[in-house]
Amino acid sequence: MNDTGLTRFSPPRWSRRLRRAGAPTNWFPTRLHDPRTAVAVGRWLGAGVLVCFLTGLVSHGLQSPGDWLATRLPTRPVWGYRLTQGLHVITGFALVPLLLVKLWVVYPRLFVLPPVRSLRHALERFSVAVLVGAALLQVFLGLVNIVQWYPWPFSFRPVHWALAWVLLGATLLHVAVQAPAIAAYWRGKGRDPDGPERRSLLLGLGAAVGTVTLVTAGQTVAPLRRVTLLAPRRPDGSAQGLPINRTAAEAGVREVSPETWRLRLAGPRAHELSLAELRRLPQHGARLPIACVEGWSATADWSGVRVRDLLELVGAPPGASARVVSLQRRGGYRVSELPPQFVRDPLTLLALRLNGQVLSLDHGFPARIIAPNRPGVLQTKWVTTIEVSA
Amino acid sequence: MTPLRWTLGLLGVAAMLAGARLLVAGTPPGTPLDVALWLAGAVMAHDLLLAPLVLLVGAVVWRLPERRALRGALLTIGCVALITLPILLRPGPPRNATVLRLDYPLNLLGVVAAVLLAASALVGVRRARRRGDAPNATGPGT
Ligand code: HEM
Repeated sequence: MNDTGLTRFSPPRWSRRLRRAGAPTNWFPTRLHDPRTAVAVGRWLGAGVLVCFLTGLVSHGLQSPGDWLATRLPTRPVWGYRLTQGLHVITGFALVPLLLVKLWVVYPRLFVLPPVRSLRHALERFSVAVLVGAALLQVFLGLVNIVQWYPWPFSFRPVHWALAWVLLGATLLHVAVQAPAIAAYWRGKGRDPDGPERRSLLLGLGAAVGTVTLVTAGQTVAPLRRVTLLAPRRPDGSAQGLPINRTAAEAGVREVSPETWRLRLAGPRAHELSLAELRRLPQHGARLPIACVEGWSATADWSGVRVRDLLELVGAPPGASARVVSLQRRGGYRVSELPPQFVRDPLTLLALRLNGQVLSLDHGFPARIIAPNRPGVLQTKWVTTIEVSA
Repeated sequence: MTPLRWTLGLLGVAAMLAGARLLVAGTPPGTPLDVALWLAGAVMAHDLLLAPLVLLVGAVVWRLPERRALRGALLTIGCVALITLPILLRPGPPRNATVLRLDYPLNLLGVVAAVLLAASALVGVRRARRRGDAPNATGPGT
């Protein structure tokens, strides 16, 4: 490892030789391929990766909590997941300019000669390769996943989850390896002949981040809806005021007859309710967001029966949790678990109406779950059974 | 400094190993190899395709007037185009009417135009101000 300090990355020797031989181009003509610029951009990139990692951790915890965490997940704030997953995808978009500019700055380093000086140097270069690969792939997977395109031969979630740890680790290691350059950056303030050029690059980077954010963030930030020009979702103006992720047809749910449909309640005093009976139970309203794992979200007015009232009906013990089963026949998330604190919550509804109308079939007719602070994939639609589970 | 540096580095290695374990233990047998190939592919797509392309453009831009504003504008346009690319290239119709429902090619053109406009305005303002600072530098009417 060479502790570069703040000298310019030296251009590859072959490029100098080429130039001496009269090659037309100066390969890296600007002066910004230097450690100082690398640190200036890298701190923002590092912060972005950290935000994505932490918000991703929240998403993973909510979807796969394990026994210990399940009963400790908070139900407040109701917009918790909306915030974290919205931030995840907003930051993810911002990583595109940050990552590409960072890689542009350090690109000449790819051609250092000799390519490998020592075992340590080889390990260092390998860790950088892992860092670059994981960062590029992680952002690529995320951005392509949210347009609902899955061109890779593996499933997204477990790979994105594993890569998140690889990327976090490679980032930490990288910061440790580059500590001298980072320290020199902070010490070196004030003596900077390239200052204006670098500031202009950083301003351009800021413009890119700002623009990318502006035209996509309205997926989840309601005041930006009108400038949502390039996001996969624009939640306003959709069916019943709310986008749909999986339609009834995709889930293999055909017409549900309001006459023959029954809600099965399994518990100490098992019970069946028709839709008419369900409508005669006390109805409650809740204004809650739907927040999709894909990073869009929107608030809606829901009304229906409190899940805790239903569980009382079947004599569930206090502190019971519930398993919700859907009519859907295709795709994941047919069953969801409601931990005790979500069952107890007065805002957790078996919703029958959305924004003042009966749920449409694609929104889960005749009945769906809506609970605070949960990913949309767990807001089970087309509910057929609610089981008390201890 | 040094103990902190070592701690950070070791934490990093530990997290990378944890990730590798998650990949091997948490996915079907063929997946780790696939992911390794895609990682290599991502690096190659960047290092052999995108980066040389950008450097080539940069080599031209470097010689142009107002290169700083131009660089900012091109960077912005490139990134906006890149994030739209998955939508434009995705095969098949959207899964339902509430997703991918905007006119993306048109919107992309609009955003590109707005960025160019903003950059030109910036350059114009800066030139005007420069002229204002040095009224005798150029003749009247320029
Ligand atoms: C580069 C840094 C990133 C890191 C460290 C990261 C990390 C994570 C983690 C840990 C999860 C939870 C996975 C799980 O539930 O097992 C997650 C989920 C997710 N991430 Fe990222 N992510 C990154 C970038 C992105 C980007 C750029 C996007 C898209 C714009 C994105 C989109 C998603 C989506 C859609 C999910 C939900 C997956 C699901 O539950 O089905 N991520 N991310």
